[in-house]
Amino acid sequence: MTCPFWRKRGTNLPEDVQENRKPWRLSKLLGYPSGDGSGREPRISEARSSLGRMIVPVILLLIWQIAAGWLNQPWIFPPVTRVIEQLVHPLREHYASGSLLSNTFISLLRVLLGFLLAAVAGIGLGIAMGSIRIIRNSLEPIVEILRPLCPIAWLPFAIAVFKRGTLPQLFGFGYTRTVFDQVQLGMVFVIFVGGFFPVLTNTLDGVMGVRRNYLLLARALGAKPMQLFLHVYLPASMPMILTGLRQGLGLCWFVIIAAEMLPGAETGIGYLLIFASDNAAMDIVIAAMLIVGGIGAILSLMMRKIMSGLIRWHGKEI
Amino acid sequence: MTLDGTDKHPKEKLIALELRGVCKTFRSDTGDRVKALNDVSLLVHRGEFVTIVGATGCGKTTLLNLIAGLDMADDGYLRLGEDLRFGDNIAHVFQHYTLFPWRTAVSNVSFGLQMRGLPRSERQTRAEELLTRVGLKGFENAYPHELSGGMRQRAAIAQALAIEPKLLLMDEPFGAVDDSTRTELQQMLTDLWQENQTTVIFVTHNVDEAIVLGSRVLVFSERPGKISCEFKICLPRPRNRITKEFTDLFIHVRKSLSGQLD
Ligand SMILES: Nc1ncnc2c1ncn2[C@@H]1O[C@H](COP(=O)(O)OP(=O)(O)O)[C@@H](O)[C@H]1O
Ligand SMILES: [Mg+2]
Repeated sequence: MTCPFWRKRGTNLPEDVQENRKPWRLSKLLGYPSGDGSGREPRISEARSSLGRMIVPVILLLIWQIAAGWLNQPWIFPPVTRVIEQLVHPLREHYASGSLLSNTFISLLRVLLGFLLAAVAGIGLGIAMGSIRIIRNSLEPIVEILRPLCPIAWLPFAIAVFKRGTLPQLFGFGYTRTVFDQVQLGMVFVIFVGGFFPVLTNTLDGVMGVRRNYLLLARALGAKPMQLFLHVYLPASMPMILTGLRQGLGLCWFVIIAAEMLPGAETGIGYLLIFASDNAAMDIVIAAMLIVGGIGAILSLMMRKIMSGLIRWHGKEI
Repeated sequence: MTLDGTDKHPKEKLIALELRGVCKTFRSDTGDRVKALNDVSLLVHRGEFVTIVGATGCGKTTLLNLIAGLDMADDGYLRLGEDLRFGDNIAHVFQHYTLFPWRTAVSNVSFGLQMRGLPRSERQTRAEELLTRVGLKGFENAYPHELSGGMRQRAAIAQALAIEPKLLLMDEPFGAVDDSTRTELQQMLTDLWQENQTTVIFVTHNVDEAIVLGSRVLVFSERPGKISCEFKICLPRPRNRITKEFTDLFIHVRKSLSGQLD
């Protein structure tokens, strides 16, 4: 605020805008929520922050476009326009590997299935381990050994166990000619492993950190041991559980891309990425990268929204 | 100091609680032994409002926890009245964390009823009635962090009363509210007690509060805690603080509380 440059910039503006200008911060320029968080920011600030959000990406895209034109080797560094061209035609079939959209959908399906299994198992086991000492003591060594293991390392094992089995086959449907035929159990298993440990460890920490006072209060009000799980352990550790779910989902999305890039995969956005790269189609590679990044961001944002809605009380315990 | 004073209690002689020679020693994390309670004896009759006053750290919370069955005594004898059972008809308003932060006021109050398997609509009605009774109408759907300190204590009292307790244990419930709110809450609690005739054991470090509320005031000595003195309070309710009887009593209790140091 002592910087004369900003003060000079503000002097010609109406007073309320000047007022709004005072706590000028980088966070505001980039459009992050700032300040005390009370009430809504005036509209002029919103317009400016969404403009602020746009500036840096637009400049980078421009540099990219100019540099690519200057380099003129699109198989290494294609111009933005060609990547955008791929992105606006997501249904275009690429050789025999399907389209950007269909492969993305397959990857998402695998992730969601594996993640759901991981969430249920992770939360259940986390609560059990956190609240019952015998279970915790007997399982902790196993968890500690398996947890640091990169989920991808499970892939050979998973393929050996599940062979090429798919979800419909598991339920005796055989080949269904649907997208579910692409949901290989081995893939789902690896995703499961990826999501399971973040959910488990966060839930465990959450449950272990439940204030004893809340357990005493519940018991004093007549809660039976089983009721403590549902009405104290679960809600009290919800902030940590949701953190675990968010981390877990993020990791699942990481893992599926890596898993699909390995030999043996035949579909998925990760597969399309490596396939396009083998065919020197760098525009498709970059388009796939942008899609993967975008979906990762959307998933993370979604989880954050759900979290803030579910646990408004978090950090305000009295 | 003796049990025979209580024998002359005019109300029904049914015993709610009896303690004889109860001792409790804690071992801290560093291995030191802290003697929290030393030879506590106490007899409480049905319908009494007993206040226990003592300095911070003299073992008041420990005593309530023993009575509530949340902790075990090392030595001594503890007997609850025949039909009194923890988790059933003994309610406990704790000193801290008196409400579940993830539940609204109304769902906090109905917690005990939910645990007892009451249908949703029934416990909702009952909880709303209680919230109205403690002056929280209109705040049914507020979360604890959206309530003021005094309102939280009101909700906590409603939560305890929801299970229709026969024994109500209260651990410095008004310790963290301002003076005028405290007076209001004391008045409300007195009214509730007169309506329900529940047995109340109320712990406080505030001498004035102990006299305003109690039909009997027990003075707890410094650690190791021990009941050093006992006062029967016959002042009519609602009690007026600005009377000679009250101030005389205040001075007496005060003296016996600090007398231990002389
Ligand atoms: N769980 C515990 N472990 C070790 N010491 C304890 C424990 N609980 C209480 N104490 C000690 O016992 C004494 C009495 O504590 P407390 O009953 O909480 O006092 P009050 O409620 O009167 O302030 C204190 O010195 C305290 O440090
Ligand atoms: Mg205490």
